[in-house]
Amino acid sequence: MSELDSGIDTEELRDAARRLLSDKVDRRAPWEDRDGGRAEIESAMSDLGWYLLTIPEELGGLGQNFDSLAPIYEEAGRALLPLWPAGTMAAIDVLAADGSQEALTALQAIAEEGHRIATVILPADASLQSARISMVPGADLATHLLLIPESGDACHLLAADAAGISIEVVETWDRSRSFADVVLSDMPADAVRIALPESLALARAHGELALAWDCVGAAEQCLTETVDYMMGREQFGRSIASFQALKHRAADHKVALELARSLAGHASAAYAQKSGGWAEIATQARLMAAGAFRSIAEDSVQLHGGVGFTWEYDCHLFLKRALVNEMLDGAPETLKDRIAEALLERAMSSRN
Amino acid sequence: MKESDSIEALRREIREWLAASLPKDWRDRQRGDDIPGFLAMQREFFAELVAAGYATPHWPKEWPGGGKSLAEQIAIFEELARAGAPRMSLFFVSLYHAAMTLVECGTDAQRKKHLPAILNGEVWCQGFSEPGAGSDLAALRTRAVRKGDHYVVSGQKIWSTLGHFADQCLLLVRTDSSGPKQAGITFLLMDMKSKGVEVRPIKQITGDEEFAEIFLDEVEIPVENLVGVENEGWKVAQVTLSSERGLSLVELTERMALSLWQLVDTASAGGEGFSAIDIATRREIVDISGRIEALRAMLTTLMANRIAGREAIGDASILKLAYSRLSRDFTALGLRLGGKAALCDTHYTLGAGYETGNWMFDFMNSYQYNIAGGSNEVQRNIISERVLKMPREKMA
Ligand SMILES: Cc1cc2nc3c(=O)[nH]c(=O)nc-3n(C[C@H](O)[C@H](O)[C@H](O)COP(=O)(O)OP(=O)(O)OC[C@H]3O[C@@H](n4cnc5c(N)ncnc54)[C@H](O)[C@@H]3O)c2cc1C
Repeated sequence: MSELDSGIDTEELRDAARRLLSDKVDRRAPWEDRDGGRAEIESAMSDLGWYLLTIPEELGGLGQNFDSLAPIYEEAGRALLPLWPAGTMAAIDVLAADGSQEALTALQAIAEEGHRIATVILPADASLQSARISMVPGADLATHLLLIPESGDACHLLAADAAGISIEVVETWDRSRSFADVVLSDMPADAVRIALPESLALARAHGELALAWDCVGAAEQCLTETVDYMMGREQFGRSIASFQALKHRAADHKVALELARSLAGHASAAYAQKSGGWAEIATQARLMAAGAFRSIAEDSVQLHGGVGFTWEYDCHLFLKRALVNEMLDGAPETLKDRIAEALLERAMSSRN
Repeated sequence: MKESDSIEALRREIREWLAASLPKDWRDRQRGDDIPGFLAMQREFFAELVAAGYATPHWPKEWPGGGKSLAEQIAIFEELARAGAPRMSLFFVSLYHAAMTLVECGTDAQRKKHLPAILNGEVWCQGFSEPGAGSDLAALRTRAVRKGDHYVVSGQKIWSTLGHFADQCLLLVRTDSSGPKQAGITFLLMDMKSKGVEVRPIKQITGDEEFAEIFLDEVEIPVENLVGVENEGWKVAQVTLSSERGLSLVELTERMALSLWQLVDTASAGGEGFSAIDIATRREIVDISGRIEALRAMLTTLMANRIAGREAIGDASILKLAYSRLSRDFTALGLRLGGKAALCDTHYTLGAGYETGNWMFDFMNSYQYNIAGGSNEVQRNIISERVLKMPREKMA
């Protein structure tokens, strides 16, 4: 149990998140063409004050760091939350770090007017006048966009319904969340400029960590449900959970999951304190967690047998989310290539 | 003073001490092709560690250097690793398994006799495993029959680490075979110079002779060398097996983390900067470094939980399995990146971490973590049964 500075208890946050999400999230809804009540969940999250957690106190927030968000992201994964709060949360980190008057005004609007932001990373070769950024999580529900160019140029914060911007919902295999392409044809004149050199690194690391925890929470849930199923399923006169070949696979998954959780925890603390190598460690945490989640979700289908191959059982919910989590903002190879040089240098500098 | 400040002070003190006391030439003196040199170097540095109080932080406080918290013990291991000091392999069983068993389960007389001797360099080995009793340790059959004031012991022990250098042995024997196999086991202390003890070193996969077989033919062991109660030695053995409390993994993991540069160095051989490292290799190094960081983080949490007295069942198995698999993959990568050079039988340093200078040696050696101290498969049984609560195997 850890107490944050202002006396907010992360375990209490986790409990509250778990209660809320298990009460409100109907994870089958998107797969059965029912309305999953996303609007209601979103407003319940706002009511609980999640979006205030990391907003500075002088702007009416609670002034917490990433430690308070990690349990929420983990519970979001466990519940297969159909929303993407990390867009707004990452934007909060960028705006708070920037600290300009425009940024503070934007933070206030998040706290008081319910602005919700999709963080959009613009590829280095994209132009603000003409670009399509595909599969931005939660962009269809955002009131605003924070465009962060990979080139290192200034970011732009603008209304999602501004002229020159269109948001086109895309149907993906993972119905557990919504995605939209963001199409830019002109940069609105009233877009707010945020010229913080660290924007890209902050937004990226925040997104990686959110994904890492989403994977950890979902992977744990998937493994638990898989083991429960195995306990109840009998073949050859005994529970299939008693076959050692299967037990050992489950044990390996458990080890991978716990390693992923440990690294996510370490990376979150590094990000919160901006201690050495925080950006690379965040990426490593996401890589490891996404890998563990994917292999658990993949094996979950196999371990369920025929029912695992059905729409009716939930194995595919996890599998599809896992495959998307592993690819968002770059395939594993892309991520590794991005951080390799920095890691190699750090390793060589530790030579004694 | 806050606890973290006192740990920092201890770390500084050790660093200063190491800067002055660590023999610079220890790697040359602990070469795999020079066993007398290895033994001499181990004894020399051990004596220095004992004198400075850094060998016995886990001992009770009435002993020199003793009475340190687990956090302080961790700090000492980490600093030794960071300074690249030799591992005290010759004395590990003495300092941990033997000493802690005597502290917790021994008699006053046994403690008075052996603990000072250990500080003076008495070497112990562990005689638990037998040809027919490995993972299933409780199936052991070495017989002991009580005759007057001594036990007469016959049988065979195997895989006893450094048994051929040992003065004393922690010995598990069977004194009763009428009941369940865990009942009827007795824990004895055996002088390796006793009549009827024959030790044969076993050559390992690495070519070294680091463990031994111990043949026992009507060896007489005085009854005063009984630890605990006759037929209740299984309980004592559990104390022995948990005596090091994860500290060797703290040390080994730290040493692996510090050796990442070896991997990078091996991969960049023949290139300017990192230019010789191709993209696939870079990716593999990223993966391995992530696993090392994850393991370190897991270890930090586990040790903190242990200190706070809230370790969960199976945590140690998860950690051990994670470490053992990583040790294989880490050294396998080094071996592959090392190319032909790594395949050549060049000399290597004993008692080092992963900077022995020979990847083939490290790779071969890494199997030991996967087999000894509960094999990977045994750890998977524990994790699936005790953590995931899957049905238990039916065992004889
Ligand atoms: C380097 C080294 C140092 C050692 N030092 C010592 C020492 O100092 N003192 C000492 O007493 N012993 C020592 N040992 C012995 C060690 O504890 C045993 O090797 C270990 O317990 C395994 O037993 P075994 O070798 O008989 O293998 P076995 O138990 O025969 O195992 C063979 C294979 O079967 C698997 N297996 C066994 N049971 C099961 C099961 N229930 N489910 C699934 N798979 C199973 C194992 O995992 C392994 O893969 C050492 C071993 C090594 C390698």
